[in-house]
Amino acid sequence: MSSSILSIGSSALAVAQAGLSTTSHNISNASTPGFSRQEIIQASSQAQATGAGYMGQGVQVTTVRRIYNDFLTRQLTDVQSSSSQLDSYQSNISKLNNLLADPASGLSPAMQDFFSGVNAVANNPANTASRQAMLSNAQSLVSRLQSMQNSFDAVRQGVESQMSASVDSINSYATQIAQINDAISKSELSNNGQTANDLRDQRDLLISDLNKEIKATVVRQDDGAYNVFVGNGQSLVIGNQASSLVTLRDPSDGNRLQIGFRLSGVTMRLNDSSISGGTLGGLLSFRTASMDAAQNTLGQIALGLAGSFNAQHHLGVDQNGIPGGDFFKIVQPTAIANSANGGSATLAVNISDYSALTTSDYQVAYDGSNYSITRLSDQTVQTASSLPASMDGIDFGLGSGSLAAGDTFLIRPTLNGAGSIGVAISDTRKIAAAAPISTNAPGSNLGSGKISAGSVDASYLGTPLSTPINLAYNLGSNTLSGFPLASVTVNSGGTLTTYAPGAPVAFVADASYSVNGMSFSLSGNPANGDQFSIAPNTSGTGDNRNALLLAGLQTQNVLGGGTTSFQTGYAQLTSQVGNKAREIQTSSLAQNKLLEQANAAVQGMSGVNLDEEAANLLRYQQAYQAAGKVMQIAGTLFDTLLSLGR
Amino acid sequence: MRISSIMMYNMAVARINDQQSALARTQQALSTGRRINVPSDDPIGAASALTVSGADAQNDQFTSNRSGAKSTLSEEDGILQGVTELIQNVQAAVITARNGTLSDKDRGFIAEDLRGQLDQLLGLANSKDGTGNYFFSGYQSQTAPFSATGSSAQYSGDSGSRRLQVAAGQQLAVGDSGQDVFQNIRSGNGTFTTSAVATNTGSGLVSAGSVVSPASLTRHDYQINFSVVAGVTTYSVLDSTTSTTLSSGNPYTSGNAISFDGLQFNVSGSPASGDQFKLAPSPNQSLFQTVSDLIKVLGTPATGVAGTASLHNGLTAVHSALDNALDNILTVRASVGSRLNQLDALDAVGSDLHLQYQQTLSSLQDTDYNAALSTFSQQQLSLEAAQKSFAKVMGLSLFTYL
Repeated sequence: MSSSILSIGSSALAVAQAGLSTTSHNISNASTPGFSRQEIIQASSQAQATGAGYMGQGVQVTTVRRIYNDFLTRQLTDVQSSSSQLDSYQSNISKLNNLLADPASGLSPAMQDFFSGVNAVANNPANTASRQAMLSNAQSLVSRLQSMQNSFDAVRQGVESQMSASVDSINSYATQIAQINDAISKSELSNNGQTANDLRDQRDLLISDLNKEIKATVVRQDDGAYNVFVGNGQSLVIGNQASSLVTLRDPSDGNRLQIGFRLSGVTMRLNDSSISGGTLGGLLSFRTASMDAAQNTLGQIALGLAGSFNAQHHLGVDQNGIPGGDFFKIVQPTAIANSANGGSATLAVNISDYSALTTSDYQVAYDGSNYSITRLSDQTVQTASSLPASMDGIDFGLGSGSLAAGDTFLIRPTLNGAGSIGVAISDTRKIAAAAPISTNAPGSNLGSGKISAGSVDASYLGTPLSTPINLAYNLGSNTLSGFPLASVTVNSGGTLTTYAPGAPVAFVADASYSVNGMSFSLSGNPANGDQFSIAPNTSGTGDNRNALLLAGLQTQNVLGGGTTSFQTGYAQLTSQVGNKAREIQTSSLAQNKLLEQANAAVQGMSGVNLDEEAANLLRYQQAYQAAGKVMQIAGTLFDTLLSLGR
Repeated sequence: MRISSIMMYNMAVARINDQQSALARTQQALSTGRRINVPSDDPIGAASALTVSGADAQNDQFTSNRSGAKSTLSEEDGILQGVTELIQNVQAAVITARNGTLSDKDRGFIAEDLRGQLDQLLGLANSKDGTGNYFFSGYQSQTAPFSATGSSAQYSGDSGSRRLQVAAGQQLAVGDSGQDVFQNIRSGNGTFTTSAVATNTGSGLVSAGSVVSPASLTRHDYQINFSVVAGVTTYSVLDSTTSTTLSSGNPYTSGNAISFDGLQFNVSGSPASGDQFKLAPSPNQSLFQTVSDLIKVLGTPATGVAGTASLHNGLTAVHSALDNALDNILTVRASVGSRLNQLDALDAVGSDLHLQYQQTLSSLQDTDYNAALSTFSQQQLSLEAAQKSFAKVMGLSLFTYL
């Protein structure tokens, strides 16, 4: 009898001990990441059947259970994945945000200074100091653009190195998960299907860590293993086998890093859009949605400014009396041949209309007979049977080599725009501040007719004036003769009249006359035989007409097909990045709250509460003491039996 | 709800972090004085601030353009003031020279003095501005506009006048071409000139004349031929452009108006038979030419009736040419003055605009100190509460009682 009491006491002692050790395990792991608290499940031992009924035989530990809820854990990893995506997006976009933020280092002041320099030349065209100021300010505008381009490039490189680091982490997690899968299957199999609590906790932690890098789907297997899938269902871990992600160069743009999936030696490219969630998802979406867009917009502003400035500069003459050349050097974009191209051809790309430039990239594809040019932002396709062809102000032409069917080329006209411009002139005399034509009404005229200073437009360059034109007025027929052999358009208060080449042109006071790209207006009452001359301007050192037009570009709507000024374009870029940064900030804040709640839910279920454990300690201590007492009584009982014989 | 110890710690730390970063943001707004420190603080505000400060800088640019324009125009006005005084001196000389008591020698002294005035005039017309540009050479600011030829001056500039952007969409000429100021001045009465033929022998003086009916003007050349038959003086009018005689045998009375084809003038004194007077549409005559003409007229000895008549006819022509020149200079000065006024008005608008831009910018991006300070103390209070409660809660543990 007393031996039974003793064994019952000892079973209670053992259970209390197990309880104490589980409690200590919990206390010691209170701050271990991923740890789920454990508890012992105790049950009464099989009772012994006696004539007086079933006699209890003490207690035993059935299992050590971890307090765990699969649903809550899944929810946590999901939220974790979105939250990390937003965090990585936010940390990168805040770099752009800061870059554009500073009023002193942004593009705005450099652009303003540059146009102040142009205004200085307009105010004092003959002064070398003003001209030098314009050149120096142009140089600092160019270096500001260059440094912004460098900063953008640095952010881009940062993104790509983070991508590589993230891929490395993903691969390391995948390997560890496969190993733990193996360890769990083996240990659970060898231990009558008792769950390997701590290993499972570790694996859940790894899954959570993996989700911080990339959104991963977990499929539970019957043998306790987890199969993990990423992207469009690429199997990252199957049982104890892990495959890997790799970074590779984009075939259509060798400068760009892409993600690939490698399974048993075969590598498959993953589209940027197929990877979502986690740091990697955040990096990829940042690169496409914000980085490319912002850099393209900056490039569009830089190229638009340089291109339109050059175009106006060509319409002037410099201090040597020579037509203006390029003010800004512009490196034309290159067409990147797809590395899979069968042909050897290169494309020659040239921007012909800077104001029509968009922020999109383009793809040129050859199908063996036709070329299709695709604007990648909205997938608009333009088909041409031969090159050169133009789209959005860009001329796509054939360079050297031969094309094979299926060849494609990627053109990113604006991506590096900010870094591709320089100042083309260093000689102050070469600033074309003067207009190419000068007009005069000789003093010998008897009437009161006057001729305006005159201006030229882009079409003037096709038929520049080489010898003076002398217009003579005939009172009898009220006509002007002496126009060059080209059609003349007279604009009188908005009414346009066009005269055929060589036909006498009716004189209309205050009307504007356009011929060969030159425009001027005549006013007053000329007398019969009065003359008006238009001559090439070769010595206008103090002429600032073209400088005024150059300065006027500052407020002119040049970009986006004549809808946006440079300043507005830059403001739009700032607000575009600022809005996105704010949006991400807000979502990230909300997502972090969700994460906190999900975490609280999991911790509420599985986390260790030290007070609770302290209570458990007391509970098991008391149970232990009580069990000891039972054994002591069993001993006393035995002593009582022994003393009976004395 | 069950709470894990680590969660309690984490959450408390997270809240303290939140409070601290909010406090840091408020502190940054207070210390920089700027509400928007990065575009994401207020993307729309940041973009508007960029646009507004761009517009403000543009406005500043116009202000500096205007101050350049003002100084150039004021200098030009000063020079034109000198020219005005010079013309008035020459006019006084003409009046002096009309005095019948003067001898050829006396007139020679006046002519000598006028040579000095002509040099001075040339000097004024070739003035340079502070940066070494000629005022009156049009676009060719490095070329001296006027150079003396034997009898007059030659213009080497062009007809341009430099314009400056003085406000959005408004350009203003900051100079006037020498051609307009000194060259293109109509001689005679502005429409036609009258002159006596050099071979006249009578004492006939012709007036400058005037236009009575602009619609009837023909712009033709005319010739008035006098003949004296038996003491009766008559004249005929010949249109030399069409070689038609308009009228003949008209009786002559000294000082009576002669008028035809919309114009009117008179001849006074006693023209001799065969004396001729000519009328022609006014050509342009430079101020230099006018002064040179005057010097020439004064330098020619007035011998006899014919000589005196020629002197007076010459002085009449110079007199009206000088009047026209003065009119022209005063017109240019009036235009300079009105441009200066316009600049003043634009300056007023510009400084108003600047103030408005500054106010808008300030409301867009400056910290509202009252609000920020009150937020700051509020956040400070919350942070202190969070910290204190954290310390208290963390001190609570059942283990302390075991």
